[in-house]
Amino acid sequence: MSRLLPKLIRPTVSYRPSAITPLSTSGLTAAESRELEQRLQKRQVKEFMTVFGNLVDNCFAACVDDFTSRALSGRETGCLSRCVTKSMATQTRLGERFAELNAAMTAEMQKR
Amino acid sequence: MSLFGFGRPQPTSAEKIAAVENELRVVAEMHSRMIKLCTLKCVDKTYREGELSKGESVCLDRCAAKFFEAHQTISEQLQREGAARGFGA
Repeated sequence: MSRLLPKLIRPTVSYRPSAITPLSTSGLTAAESRELEQRLQKRQVKEFMTVFGNLVDNCFAACVDDFTSRALSGRETGCLSRCVTKSMATQTRLGERFAELNAAMTAEMQKR
Repeated sequence: MSLFGFGRPQPTSAEKIAAVENELRVVAEMHSRMIKLCTLKCVDKTYREGELSKGESVCLDRCAAKFFEAHQTISEQLQREGAARGFGA
């Protein structure tokens, strides 16, 4: 089973708990913070697997459509490669926008 | 909005941690939905290029902003109409 999964690179999270939940994270003891950290790490791993799954689904759907052969054609392989690169770039860019917009929304909610 | 006021029993550790986890789950879901939707709307599905074009990049930025605005608009309207029909706060 493990050969099906890519070696897990520690996923970078574009949102740290303290940055987006100033309301909830204030007032946690050290022990509670540690427990939270552990749970968040597990969650991050799960999220990475979801992202990976979505990536495969999306790129397969977009690129693979020729079933006259069992092997991926050169065209399909190239398309998959471009799809992965583009998807990563999209995730990065949207991650930045999301963090900005989320911070703005949180700030506005606190003002009200 | 603070849930923890005077004269109420202090929330347990489990409750506090659950609150943070919950908030994060909501945010993460929103993040993932936004990526799915904006990819659908902005990115060329034939993947002829391996890099985002300038047009696609600008589209993604605008899509993210509109997504947040739509989220807020819908949320506000839902609250108004829900209150009018007697749904819970």
